[in-house]
Amino acid sequence: MQTPDNGGYMVAAYIIAAVVVLGYAITLLYRLAKLKNQ
Amino acid sequence: MRSARRGTVITGLALLGLTGVYIRALVYTPMERLQGLAQKIFYVHAPAAWAALLAFAVTGLFSLLYLITRDRKFDLVASSSAEVGVAFSLVMLTTGPLWGKPVWGTWWTWDARLTSTLFIFLLFVGYLVLRGAFNDFEIRARFSAVLGVMALVLVPFIHVTVYWFRTLHPEPVLLKPDRPSLPGVMLTTLLISIGVFTALYVGFMMQRHALTVLRDIRDEETVDANA
Repeated sequence: MQTPDNGGYMVAAYIIAAVVVLGYAITLLYRLAKLKNQ
Repeated sequence: MRSARRGTVITGLALLGLTGVYIRALVYTPMERLQGLAQKIFYVHAPAAWAALLAFAVTGLFSLLYLITRDRKFDLVASSSAEVGVAFSLVMLTTGPLWGKPVWGTWWTWDARLTSTLFIFLLFVGYLVLRGAFNDFEIRARFSAVLGVMALVLVPFIHVTVYWFRTLHPEPVLLKPDRPSLPGVMLTTLLISIGVFTALYVGFMMQRHALTVLRDIRDEETVDANA
């Protein structure tokens, strides 16, 4: 059986995971900084 | 706050670790022959699922402790963990369909594993919305703790769904009575990724908890000033 060509799904999944994790890390830093400045 | 700074350092190190996981998974871990490159989604999907269920279990346990003791600090831990769990669930619920489409031929199927996972995600989104709906601390903590404890029951249920029901979702490769069903290189990558996602959970949790405590102090000061 031939190996399927589906690398696009893998790339999309890795990008989405990185965006969600980095995005959440940034929102935590932003909210902490905002609260400390109040 | 010291715990916020420590949390930021742990998160930073874990993000570096995540970069390492990406490099190891994409470059140094062999491709599975039948599933192709899409199988490598496993190295982010499964650890994200682990971190999400860990976060929800912590929420449930600390909710239970709050209901028993009525100690405010347990509620603050429970609510912090719930939000972190929702973030990891988002990774799990987006990477899952991206793996399912090329391997199963469908983005989604309403079987027990996928449906219960979506259900727990929506339950915790509801938990966060519920907390925002009440100004009174006691009511907010009590209502959300009851929801947190109810959701705790779902965590082991989600794990056993693949054994109890017919599903497209594969059975666990690690948390099972037999030996891990993965070749050594793949297993090592998976274990490293689980370690990194656990560190991310700890880092996020410390930051989110510091945020919750700071907000709690500010809210108390506002109440005192208005009294």
